[in-house]
Formats: sequence, C-alpha cells, structure tokens
Amino acid sequence: MSTRPPVPVTREEVLARRDALPVFPRVIDDVLATLDDPEANVGDLVAHVSRDPVLSAQVFAIANAAASHSRRDGKVRDLYTATSMIGLTRLRQTTIVTSLAGFLRGALPPGLSPGFWEHSAAAGVCARLLAQHVHQSSDAAMIAGLLHDVGQLWLFRFHPEAFASAWQAAARGEASIEAAERARFGVDHSTIGGWLAESWQLPAPVCAAIRHHHAPDSALQEPLVAVVHVAEVLSNALDLGGTSPRVTSLSEAACEQLGLQWDESAESLFGRIDAVSHFIATYFRPQ
Amino acid sequence: MTISDSTGNEALRKIRKRYLPFHEVGVGMVLAEPVRIADRHVVRFTLPAEHALTEVDLRQLAAHGTEYLCIALPDTRSEAAVAAETAAAAARVAEIFAGADLGKPAVGALYRRVLAYRSH
Repeated sequence: MSTRPPVPVTREEVLARRDALPVFPRVIDDVLATLDDPEANVGDLVAHVSRDPVLSAQVFAIANAAASHSRRDGKVRDLYTATSMIGLTRLRQTTIVTSLAGFLRGALPPGLSPGFWEHSAAAGVCARLLAQHVHQSSDAAMIAGLLHDVGQLWLFRFHPEAFASAWQAAARGEASIEAAERARFGVDHSTIGGWLAESWQLPAPVCAAIRHHHAPDSALQEPLVAVVHVAEVLSNALDLGGTSPRVTSLSEAACEQLGLQWDESAESLFGRIDAVSHFIATYFRPQ
Repeated sequence: MTISDSTGNEALRKIRKRYLPFHEVGVGMVLAEPVRIADRHVVRFTLPAEHALTEVDLRQLAAHGTEYLCIALPDTRSEAAVAAETAAAAARVAEIFAGADLGKPAVGALYRRVLAYRSH
C-alpha cells in the first residue's frame, strides 16, 4: 500500500473545526438527565422539547397519528397532551432520533452516499435493541450507536480527498478503514469521534463507546463499549445498510461480557432488529 | 412448523415466524409471540400468542407506538423458490464475512447464526 505521508490530525484541529459543524443538539443532554433523575417526569422533558420547533412538530405528528387510530376527537394541540399520549419512553426515543438525524444531516456535505445515514441508523437500532436484550440503558446505547462514526463525518467534511483515498483502500481490502485512516491522518475516526463526543460533554460511557467501537477490549470496564462494538458488527452482519457492509472481526471478550452465545435464541434478536430498522429508516432518509 | 388451515380441515401447511415492521402488519394476521407493551414498568396493553389481529387491535397497537410484531405467516413458497432464496442468502452472508477469520469462536459463531437466520 502506498500512501502519501500522513497529515496529522490533532485534537486541537478537530475541536477548532467542530464549530463549523451544526450546533450539537443540547436536548440530548436533557434526555439523558431524565434517565438519571428518578424524580424526572414528562413535564421535565416536555420543557426541553418545547424549545425545539422541529422536534415539537415530530411529537405532535406522532401523537395525532395515535389519536386518529384511537378515534379521539379533535387534534392534539398542546405538548403535554401529546407527550402523555405517546409515553415517556417513546418521547425520549423520538427526541434522540429526530435531533441526531437533524444534526447529522446538517453536518454532512451535499452529495454524500446515503450509506452513512443507513449505517448510522442501523447501528443505532442495533445498539438500542441489543442493550434491551442484555438489560442495559437503551437510550444511551442508541445515542452512541447513532454517533459512533461521527469521526468519519468530520474527516469527510474537512479532509474529503484523503478520506476518500482511505475509504477506497479499505474497499480494495488493502487495510481496515481504521488502519487506512491512521496511515493518512495519524489517528482514526474512532479517536476523532471520541474527541468530538467529549467536547459536546456527552456522558463518559457514550464517549468511551464511540472511541473504542472498533477495538473494545481495552475499555470493557465500561459496558456500553461492548454494546456499541457488537451493535456495529451486527448492523453489518445483518446487511442493514451502508456502503458495502463487511464483518472482519468481532471481540470475543465483548461477546463474553454481554453473555452472547450466538445460539438459536439470537435469531429473535436478529428478527427484531430487522423489523425495527425498516420501521425507523424513514427518519434517516435525506429530505 | 405447521398450522391448521383457515377451514379447520385436516390439511396442514407450513408457517414462518417473521418479525414484521408495524406498517406491514394487517388485519387477520396471527401473532407468533405475545405482545406486552409497558412504559416505565407499567403494563399498558397485552395480546396472547396465536391471536388473530383485528382492526381494533391494530388501532390500539398504533396508538401505543408499536414498531414491530412477530407474526406466523403461511409459507406459500415452492421448494425450488426456498432453495433459490437460501442459496442467494448464503452467498450474500459469505460475501459480508469474506474478510473474517471464521476459525475465531465469536465471529465464526455469529457467521453460522446469521447464515441459519437468513436460511429460513
């Protein structure tokens, strides 16, 4: 493999250029805070959602769809009624998917293959359902799954030619994408994604899961790392989208930590992932 | 797996257990697994396995934000069609795992499970 000498990407450059990306949706922090606060109620989350017109519109749309199915009279016109109809769990998931889909769409340059959307959405769904399967926080898992490749988004936006070269080398089988990126930038997208997540002050487990999703074994003290690593592998194994999905490795230690045997019982997990991925894909189709 | 046909006579036919996105589920489809919808540990809606879905059920499930259901579907495929689908699925799974060392326990086990899942 012949590549140009690396153009080192530093943490300072990543953080300086971060400000050229859309503002990270702070409502994600608020969603996560309601998970950690046993006193949190629907009103707390509604107060946060009400500050985001796009998100509020999405919540009204879901509530009115539910109202029409239940033959309720009249349209739902206030956010408290809407959120009480759709439930706190669904409100959190809607908030996460809608706000992160908007952020990722806004951060990408035009013309990018829809593969990035598809893979991010699939990894988010896999992480959420896998977390439920192993009794971990599904909301934090979905956030980490949706954002796990945000470092690639940064590279594509700010170093498009070198990143395309890394991608092509990986597609030709010359190196893994992480190795191809390290050859060109000195770091890979996992490290860059970790820097970005830390700068957005996402919780430490989410940052760790993004940073170690390709090489989880040194960070398995944080359970979310294993979930997101396996979730990304599953999204590729189940062919759920992305550009040329491939499985090249799977951490034995991560599987062991999650108690995954890949016996017949795994097939119901695969089935749920397949179905929910198709259901949720509409959130991520470019508009 | 087999199930009595809708006339209740002796004829038996194969069924497939499939997880379907909610928008693909219709009236009359039979649940292969029970439904239990809960929010914050409060159970809000249940349906038993082998229940045939009604229009009212679907309205209530939609109102609860159901994303998928596990359905028992009649398998009307011919043996030739099953064989062709299985071969195509196996080829695709092999392509996805082409760069993996299937001698390693975890990735080898995942490969075999995905292959089995895509084969029925």
